[in-house]
Amino acid sequence: MFDIMTVFESFVEILKVVPKTLLLALIILVLSFTLGAMITYIQSLNIPVVRQVIGVLQSFLRGTPNVVLLYLVYYSLPLVLAWFLGLFNVTFDPTSLNSTAIVIVTFSICYSVFQSEIIRGALHSLDKDQIEAAQSLGYSTTQVLRKVIIPQVMVEALPDTMNAFLIIIKALSLAFLVTVVDIFAQARLVGAQSFSYLEAFVAAAFVYWGICVLLTYVIDKLENRMRRGYA
Amino acid sequence: MLNIENLNLSFGDHKVLDDISLEVKKGEVITFIGPSGTGKTSLLRCINLLEKPESGRITLGGLTYDFGSITKKETLNLRRKTAMVFQQYNLFKNKTVLENVMDAQIVVQKKSKKAAHDKSMKELARVGLDGKADAYPHQLSGGQQQRVSIARALAVEPEVILFDEPTSALDPELVGEVLKAIGEVADSGMTIILVTHEMSFAKDISDRVIFMDQGRVAEEGPPEQIFNHSESARTQQFLRKFYTTTH
Repeated sequence: MFDIMTVFESFVEILKVVPKTLLLALIILVLSFTLGAMITYIQSLNIPVVRQVIGVLQSFLRGTPNVVLLYLVYYSLPLVLAWFLGLFNVTFDPTSLNSTAIVIVTFSICYSVFQSEIIRGALHSLDKDQIEAAQSLGYSTTQVLRKVIIPQVMVEALPDTMNAFLIIIKALSLAFLVTVVDIFAQARLVGAQSFSYLEAFVAAAFVYWGICVLLTYVIDKLENRMRRGYA
Repeated sequence: MLNIENLNLSFGDHKVLDDISLEVKKGEVITFIGPSGTGKTSLLRCINLLEKPESGRITLGGLTYDFGSITKKETLNLRRKTAMVFQQYNLFKNKTVLENVMDAQIVVQKKSKKAAHDKSMKELARVGLDGKADAYPHQLSGGQQQRVSIARALAVEPEVILFDEPTSALDPELVGEVLKAIGEVADSGMTIILVTHEMSFAKDISDRVIFMDQGRVAEEGPPEQIFNHSESARTQQFLRKFYTTTH
């Protein structure tokens, strides 16, 4: 029988891993954003060969499911690392690599492609006039970047970036495949203990939904604040 | 005070400015007129290096800069002695009117917030917009936005203010308020270089008018001479055309 009390108990149990899941998602968001910014920058330089290589890589990452990439990295990264470190005569045990690290690496690379698109779009929306105004007043290149470009690009990129954050949180439910315990994995564990899977998954769904509603609310507030000057 | 020698600028094969030399005295109001595409705006943009000339020299505030070998530091230095008022106002759209006027004082001139605030309010009062200090640019009319950008230029106390067709983007009924503000800036003794198509305003405000044609100075002199007794056939032709099409 479906038991509402069990749902509640599962909910409390699942809440315990929420901070860890959010932290993991945040690390992935920051890394993928940084990587994405680098990709945007490199692509803007328009270096022949490099441009095409990144293009193919982007296409590959876009065209492969996260699960496949996760397994791919899970089985290959330790070997690659062992080989690479071997070049410097550092011995490395491939089995010692932390699964959490694997999840972070996989998703950071995976989402960097999307982040780079977001950044490119935001940069595109910035008008040159304001940059020239700042230059004409004697702002240095870094001052223009810090005072004019970044504040406005951030506002433009904020909704999409936050959307990416929610996607990452949900995508982390795949992490249990490589033994990392996130919200979804915790729900499976809780469900397995009492064989009340349905209750556990109902609880998990509500946890995800709750996070989403809360984040959306906070982001909307933030965006409204930042967008005050916009028509 | 401002001295330009042999300034040359090309876009590809197209020679935009051809060996321009110009001397401006402190407090002088110089107006550039001439057909579109003759390099008036480009010249203004060269003076604060939004365009980089291939060659030439500029002296401003006692220092001479060689365009051929100008460093990043010199570029900033020169820009900090000038201010520009753009055709499209170019206000920071994410900042309030007050912040627009304050920002350069804090970021570039490293003034205290209090000092920048007081200076900004004073300049906003001069253009009649101290009541709009907390508004955002998009809440203002074009004329008001341009007056804010004039206050922003005044607030950094430049040696010279460059006005690049400041009324061209405005609805006709808003032109007057901006011209009035520019007139007041001129009366205060500020050195001004103005590019405009407002001929009667140019006639009233200028100490000297320069007619440019195809990247060169075709004729220069007091407004009275240029507008009423021009010696150049090209100037006469331009003015005749101008008056028959707009008046």
